[in-house]
Amino acid sequence: MTVVDLRESPPRERVVGATVRCIARWGLAKTTVDDVAREAGVGRATLYRLFPGGRDALLDAVVAAETAALLSRIRAGVAAASSLEDVLVCCVLEGGAVLIGHEALRYLLAHEPESVLPYLAFDRLDGLLRRVCETGGPLLAPWLGPGDDAARTAEWVARIVLSYALAPSPSFDLRDPESVRRLVRTYVLPGLAVGALSARSCT
Amino acid sequence: MASSSRTRILEAAYACVARAGLTRTTVEDAAREAGVSRATVYRWFPGGRDDLLRQVIAWETARFFLRLADAVDGITDFAEMLEEALVFAHAAVLDHEVLQRVLATEPGRLVPTLTVESDRIRSAIVEFLVPRLAAAPGRRPDVDTREACDHIARLLLSWIGAPGRWDLTDRARVRALVREELLAGILDP
Repeated sequence: MTVVDLRESPPRERVVGATVRCIARWGLAKTTVDDVAREAGVGRATLYRLFPGGRDALLDAVVAAETAALLSRIRAGVAAASSLEDVLVCCVLEGGAVLIGHEALRYLLAHEPESVLPYLAFDRLDGLLRRVCETGGPLLAPWLGPGDDAARTAEWVARIVLSYALAPSPSFDLRDPESVRRLVRTYVLPGLAVGALSARSCT
Repeated sequence: MASSSRTRILEAAYACVARAGLTRTTVEDAAREAGVSRATVYRWFPGGRDDLLRQVIAWETARFFLRLADAVDGITDFAEMLEEALVFAHAAVLDHEVLQRVLATEPGRLVPTLTVESDRIRSAIVEFLVPRLAAAPGRRPDVDTREACDHIARLLLSWIGAPGRWDLTDRARVRALVREELLAGILDP
């Protein structure tokens, strides 16, 4: 699931794609700016012109590019959906696909967990969840009832994705659309119906 | 007798971590603190320092969740028991000085071990929940008790670690959270 792999693509994108491939091959600790430049087929000077912050800027760009790619896949899925259930299934599948299937992330989780896991726990997870609410909330809002809080629902779904992706379960496989549909039907949709109901009875 | 000297070493190592953090705690420190020889520490923790630190994290994590189980053990209503668990655990995480200090300074050393441990803790939570959910009135007929308890345990652990948008000191909010996001698909309202 490489971001960009085309020889023709702009140098910036080529460098970001090359960074992902290097990390997937050697990990984060051993990947140098020189490795990335070689993999991308650009000079060291060009790379620093594109990313003046060097390695850190490169990693930020990778996270930004992967996040944008995930969001655009979710947007496309949501646009094609015809029910709230489909929308939620799409979000869980796409989120799960990145966490489970992304080649660089998979390498890091297996070999350098200390570089990833702290971002998925405690205060830093709160930060990630906040960003999920900001971007995911508006996507879900048109599909929810008047009593449901879209940002809250986005956060809830993100927690479910993170848990089942990072600690696989014998009951639910996030790579299997039918399994995800059962997860959404069993544990998420009923909560939304209640949410709408209780919010209405409060007002 | 045997297990008590292991516990003594763990307690000593935990005291060292509380004082100096994970990175600066060595086998020598733990041995001195426990009043045993280095060889004794290696006998119980053959992997040396990494082994010892991993076991200390596992030990304190288990103790944390035993305190949580004690705090909610007497509550018979399933939903109320989960509410109390969230309120108690959230406060206990914030009050846990050693955890907070290590999280702030050495997250890369702590969180991977904690993540591995949380799989084991989740199984223990499931074992705790299964008989209680099985006895709870109003269970939806199509619910698989064990699967549902695993799902509940996953979300509990998620909220305990990172409350996100939820104020877990506000009992009315926690009540809504448990009833809507945890139990709606499992128990009839």
